[in-house]
Amino acid sequence: DSGLSLGLDEEVKVTRKRLPVAKLDEARLLSQTGIPRLRRTAKQNLKFKGKGHEFSDAARLLQFYQLWLDDLFPRAKFADGLTIIEKLGHNKRLQVMRREWIEDEKPSAQVDNT
Amino acid sequence: DSVAFGQGVQVVDPDVRAHVYSLVTALGGFNGEDADRYVLGDDALACLRDIRRWLKLYDEKYHRMDVARCLGEANLVNGDLLPIFSLWWSSSQKSKYMSRIALACLELLVPLTWPVEVHGEMTVNHHRHFPYLQHIQVSYKRGLLSRGNLNFLRTIIRIGLPSMAVPRSERTTRDDGILKLVLYLLRNIVVITPNARLAAEGDEEETSRSATINAFQAQDVFALILTMCSNVGDDFNMQDVVLLEILFHLVKGVNVEKLFMDDAQRSAKHTDELDTLLKQESSLRREYAKNAPTRHGRFGTMIWVKRDDAKVSTVSGQDVLKDRQATLQKMDESKKWNRPQRLRARENSALNNDFSTPAQLNSTASRNLRMFVEEFLDSSFNPLFTHVRKALEREADRVVPINSRQFFYTVAWFLEAERARRARQQEIQLQDEKPIKEMEPDGFGLVAGVLDQETFVFLNRSMQNSFDQKDWEDLNAEMRCFTQILLTVQEMTQSPLDEDLEIAENIQNRIFYEETTHDRVLAIIREYKDQGFGYLDACTELSHVFLRMLERYSKENVDMQVRSRRRTRRKNIEAQTSAPEDNNEGHASDDEDIIEAERVCRERKFDFKRLAAKFCNQKCVDTFVAFTKFFRELNSGQLKRAHRYFYRIAFKQEMSVLLFRVDILNLFYRMIKGPGAMDSSKPIFKEWEELSRQIIRRMIKKIDQRPALITELLFSKMNSTLFYLEYGHEKQTLPSV
Repeated sequence: DSGLSLGLDEEVKVTRKRLPVAKLDEARLLSQTGIPRLRRTAKQNLKFKGKGHEFSDAARLLQFYQLWLDDLFPRAKFADGLTIIEKLGHNKRLQVMRREWIEDEKPSAQVDNT
Repeated sequence: DSVAFGQGVQVVDPDVRAHVYSLVTALGGFNGEDADRYVLGDDALACLRDIRRWLKLYDEKYHRMDVARCLGEANLVNGDLLPIFSLWWSSSQKSKYMSRIALACLELLVPLTWPVEVHGEMTVNHHRHFPYLQHIQVSYKRGLLSRGNLNFLRTIIRIGLPSMAVPRSERTTRDDGILKLVLYLLRNIVVITPNARLAAEGDEEETSRSATINAFQAQDVFALILTMCSNVGDDFNMQDVVLLEILFHLVKGVNVEKLFMDDAQRSAKHTDELDTLLKQESSLRREYAKNAPTRHGRFGTMIWVKRDDAKVSTVSGQDVLKDRQATLQKMDESKKWNRPQRLRARENSALNNDFSTPAQLNSTASRNLRMFVEEFLDSSFNPLFTHVRKALEREADRVVPINSRQFFYTVAWFLEAERARRARQQEIQLQDEKPIKEMEPDGFGLVAGVLDQETFVFLNRSMQNSFDQKDWEDLNAEMRCFTQILLTVQEMTQSPLDEDLEIAENIQNRIFYEETTHDRVLAIIREYKDQGFGYLDACTELSHVFLRMLERYSKENVDMQVRSRRRTRRKNIEAQTSAPEDNNEGHASDDEDIIEAERVCRERKFDFKRLAAKFCNQKCVDTFVAFTKFFRELNSGQLKRAHRYFYRIAFKQEMSVLLFRVDILNLFYRMIKGPGAMDSSKPIFKEWEELSRQIIRRMIKKIDQRPALITELLFSKMNSTLFYLEYGHEKQTLPSV
């Protein structure tokens, strides 16, 4: 048999690797679609009606977060996503970032900038 | 030829089975000519003893349950033992031979009804026979409780009576053994319950808690228990722990409040409950109808949700047309993925000792149990529980670890029962004002046995131990006990008797004097982590009651002192460096010990604000949020508890920032606006609505002032930025001189 000598009958092992599962982690949260985008869009889009419209304001706020989360990590349900992010918030790196975001708006920092 | 799978498998060694069966057959039987009369075999006593030997030397020695299973299959209990009992009863218990046979039957009955529990050293055989034995034990119980008009329980008590009548000093070990057998049999009867996971046979009612209680009442078991409990200090020293177990299994899970209603109230309550259930159902339907499609299922609507960056999502169905909230809800629901959650090993050993599952009683059983409970409170509460506590502290031989859990739960239950009874008596007095007016108000002497210093020490130590060892079920029972003690003391302070007032003052002083107690309550509520709803309920209730009572007490006693542990590290070091210079070392170290003891514990003025501030942190908030998540199942008292806590956080302590988190906002919003909101007709709904509104208003205001909150809303707040987020400036620290 000529096939034998050509090695055609030998099985070629094909090992397929699973595609890596998308994760909601620090890197994703800090990427452009993550918190930076949240801060940007909040400034532009979030407008509240204030006193007397508490629940509609709350609904607006929740919807805002839900849509943002859906863009960031479409797999997770709203509540699940929130829990994951809350857990990430305990990381060292994120804590540093969070403090920075707060420092950004402090009056003293603004005075320094101007 | 083919045999069905598993057909040829022998679960039990055939030789063993043959031996056991032949013994059961030789024991006796129903005579052919006189078919309803049981006739004993010639060597019945020896047969009984042999069976007992088989149980001991085969089952126990080799850790099998084979003989027990064979005896179950051979129908020993219902077919032989019970007929022998009735034979003995009808022969007016004179003959000595028959008495010995009856006793031998009892000796068999106790191990056969012994509760099967999952434990660490189970063999394959245990696992194999476990469900069968559970099942057959239920049928034993059914036989014992209800067999025509034969009173087996009374018969069994009769076996023990001669031994009971002997004074304790003259009792032999045999007498003690007999008493033990009788009491353990009673305990076994109470413990046995149909396994919910085995197929139901439709007659669970015959072996339910209600049936047990009614049988106990009808056959004077309650009278026996009361007699023994009230004489536990004198005549029945060794029986205290078994009695405790019987009581525990009788009352576990029974709702005290319902027990102390009269029939009219109870049926009114049941009607109320039915009413609320119907309302709940109709509100569910209404909610569905609000969003239900108005056209047929293939009407085929599809909408776009416009989003940023010119993106769109699609959602189908007509219900999404009118409301943006509903649309987003549906988008969320259509997601398939769930966050992977850590599987928690369910604790199975709590099988028979679980008290968080509510037990239902019918009205006859309620009446019987209430009568028993009232008599117990009047006669036996103090002697029994004082005695048991001493036994537990001494770690007597008869005590097993589970007993302390049972002790604390039972104490808590009876304290609650006493309070319910008082409330009821007051109600009755109010209704027919005149005649009882001259009657003296009762003191709290009836339950004083658990309000002494020794009990507090024991309780505190056990709480600390179980907290350290992570014995959550034990801690659960201890927390309930502590809560009930607090509530009882609270009620004492409203007593018209001067004596009671003084005692209450003393007790409160003792409870609140130790700062370690304050810290422990705080630590417990902080450390909650998926221990189950019963635990969550107990720990939130404890912290609620504790905080409120301490608040009131410290207001009344403005200059209250507490004993606190202080770190005196600097002084310690000084003392250490100066110590070697002393010449007479032995004497110095003695002195030092005393000084040290004085230093470590120091009294200082109590400041309630400081304590309340300690309860005001993210961990405690998380615990209460976890509790509030059950809002659909909570009653109004529990909802009030959570409400008060959040109110305290947001408005008394001015730390509303702790509540500014998207998941908490989501929870509050769902509670009020749905889907699946609270019942809006209840008064507690209004309070919650107001609270949520106020918190949301603050949150919106804060977001406008400090845009950084948009990101911080996602996370638990960090301690370093907490103050700034709340007040908008850094904490003012005094410049150091």
